[in-house]
Amino acid sequence: MQTPQLLNDIINVLLLLAPAAAVICLVLGGISLRREGGGITFVLGGGFSKWMFWCVVFLTLQPLLTWFSSFGVGVPLPGGGINASWLASFESDITSFVNNFILGKLVTTLAAYFVLRAILDAAAGDAFLPSVVAALFLLGAQTTLNLLSSWNTGTQYATVDVLDSAWTYLATTVMPIAAGLAIVGAIFNFVAQRPMMRLVAVALALLSVSGIWYLVVAMAS
Amino acid sequence: MSFYNGFLNFTNWSGNVILPTLAGLFFALGILRFSKGYPYSHALYGGMMALAASGLLRALEHFAAQRAWNDPDVYWISIVSFVDWVTNVLMPVYAAVEVTAGGLALATDQRFQHTGGWMRHFMTAGLCLLLSGFARLAEYFVQQGVGGVT
Repeated sequence: MQTPQLLNDIINVLLLLAPAAAVICLVLGGISLRREGGGITFVLGGGFSKWMFWCVVFLTLQPLLTWFSSFGVGVPLPGGGINASWLASFESDITSFVNNFILGKLVTTLAAYFVLRAILDAAAGDAFLPSVVAALFLLGAQTTLNLLSSWNTGTQYATVDVLDSAWTYLATTVMPIAAGLAIVGAIFNFVAQRPMMRLVAVALALLSVSGIWYLVVAMAS
Repeated sequence: MSFYNGFLNFTNWSGNVILPTLAGLFFALGILRFSKGYPYSHALYGGMMALAASGLLRALEHFAAQRAWNDPDVYWISIVSFVDWVTNVLMPVYAAVEVTAGGLALATDQRFQHTGGWMRHFMTAGLCLLLSGFARLAEYFVQQGVGGVT
């Protein structure tokens, strides 16, 4: 039996809206960075990780659906465009709203509010770093999205490939820079006569994340 | 705009712009504390470290690059390198500082540190230089006790 055209159109709309959903997840992840920052640490496995995971899932939705074929369930993705004009218009409007309104304008405004929040955090004696990092993350949302898309291998393992690449990027590119911040924090702690060796050890750990990963693997094997 | 650029520039700004600027404040704090007879070493050394933040990071990067990036021992070796640097490079330099302070204290009868006379300065210098020796001595004692009490 042939799939009704309306059903094909709805499937097409949902698949075409997946990148827009990924953008929303990315923005919500950036906001979670501020909400869950406990001092100078960030909660891995919390809201940020959850939103980033769903962002990756939405970006790699089509390759992920090929898993159903290996389960014996045929998932024939409808080709071509959306026939129903009102559905095509709906998809176009939502995509335009997400790209132009949320990604183009709202994200920058949110980042500006987080910068203000960082100042207020400092005034209240709280750590201002989570707000600054959240602002930087939101300002770079478009580039982050492009980066995640560039890691999409298009295979049935695409989701894991993107998550793997993100881990490698985090461990080899972002964490060595964070080590510099740890040194800055250690110096401030030293002057204020607060414990600083912890931050020195953390800086060394941030510079050798891959080695620590292989250490844990060696311990487990 | 990208998160990488933002984070990198934020770190550079913190370490290479703000810290060297605050170094002057730390030195001023050290002088004020010295004048009132309070411990001033944290502010003094903090000022020096603030001026050398990039160098300290390069030192830690050097310690973390002693082994291949995928070597499970890389973190351990980086800690070993750090300890080696502190005990065999920094402590002898600190010994020289203490010898100088001790000599000045002996010559002028002035205390440069509110708790320390010349005897304490020379004692500290000796301990700094004997650090490795003390560690070896402790290891020797432990080795002697491997057999247990008989």
